[in-house]
Amino acid sequence: MLKKLLVLTTGLMFSLSALAANQYTLGVKGVACPYCAFGIEKRLNKVDGVDNVIVDIGDSVVRVTLAESKTLTEDRARTAVEEAGFTLDSFESAEGEQADDQ
Amino acid sequence: MTNNICERLGAGTTAVAALLIAPSLAQAAPNTFNTALPVAQGEFIWREQAVVRERSSGGPRDRDVSVQALVSVLGYGINSRLSVFGAVPYFFNRELDVTTPMGRVNRSTEGFGDATVFARYTAYKHDFTGGTFRIAPVAGITAPTGDDNDGDRFGELPRPLQTGDGAWDGFAGAVTTYQTLQYQVDAQVLYRENGRHNGFAAGDETYFDASLQYRIWPRTFTSGTPGFVYALLESNLVHRNRDDVGNGTDPDSGGTQWLLAPGLQYINRRWIVEGTVQLPVSANPNGDALEDDYIVRVGFRRNF
Repeated sequence: MLKKLLVLTTGLMFSLSALAANQYTLGVKGVACPYCAFGIEKRLNKVDGVDNVIVDIGDSVVRVTLAESKTLTEDRARTAVEEAGFTLDSFESAEGEQADDQ
Repeated sequence: MTNNICERLGAGTTAVAALLIAPSLAQAAPNTFNTALPVAQGEFIWREQAVVRERSSGGPRDRDVSVQALVSVLGYGINSRLSVFGAVPYFFNRELDVTTPMGRVNRSTEGFGDATVFARYTAYKHDFTGGTFRIAPVAGITAPTGDDNDGDRFGELPRPLQTGDGAWDGFAGAVTTYQTLQYQVDAQVLYRENGRHNGFAAGDETYFDASLQYRIWPRTFTSGTPGFVYALLESNLVHRNRDDVGNGTDPDSGGTQWLLAPGLQYINRRWIVEGTVQLPVSANPNGDALEDDYIVRVGFRRNF
């Protein structure tokens, strides 16, 4: 019983860790209206493995979720944001990796 | 006789030009002119704008000109800085009422107008958190795709009443935008050179436009991307040269006019719905040139 519980707990922690690792928060400069957000969503959704993109316009951040085993590099994020006509300001994965251009 | 009088309608072609130039075409933007904000790479923007325009002149001819049109625009982002657009108006009615020696005469036509293609390049941008400042040159041409030899029971319609002017026209200018989460200010200067065809050329035009969009809803932000409602106040100053007719100019055409346009705009991620009424503030027409009484613009934009 204890062994089963240990396996389940370990599995759950591993899953949460994998899920968390596939979430990214991008700080984006230049976004100031809802209509602008669509361009960013469209460009980021073209990135391989991206499952979901949410633009939080009031905080000027974009939350990106990728499928399991997929990763988003800062360069790829920067390219997508620039293709949408805006500027990547910061890049942070759920694991805490950060890059701030300020 | 009627036709000769109507030939001096004046500035009718500029009504076509104004319909084509006027639509704002990109992101949250003015309703009455172009904007500097870019179209994302690979993104399309489709816009439809219904326009009702009433113009009149003093003098013995006591002219009234009514235009009801739908302007269709498609924009595409080639890359993050360069966007191209195509626009074509359909005139449900272009109508002239004029007093002649034979009495009051009504003439009208309908159909597609001249198509315009233009490009905008964001030459300078400074993005900051929650805002941006941009400057973009704009240039384009208008092709003579509209009918320029339509007629009625009085004979061929006067040139300015035709849905097309039969000439190639070109325009160029620059537009600048300062946008924050609370408000947006746009300004534009544009010069339009109208071509000559069969002895007629509408007067060249210079536009000075400005726009303020102020967010009135939501008052405070929640998470995500809520829709915005902007209150608009736009200013349009235009100077038109006299029309060239034959070897001379039409003394009752052209002049300077200033309009103000209050309006409302609702914006979400995929749609913009907007409306303004342009009202004349002051005018200095040449002779008995036509002046705007009002222009109503109602429409939507959709990105995909």
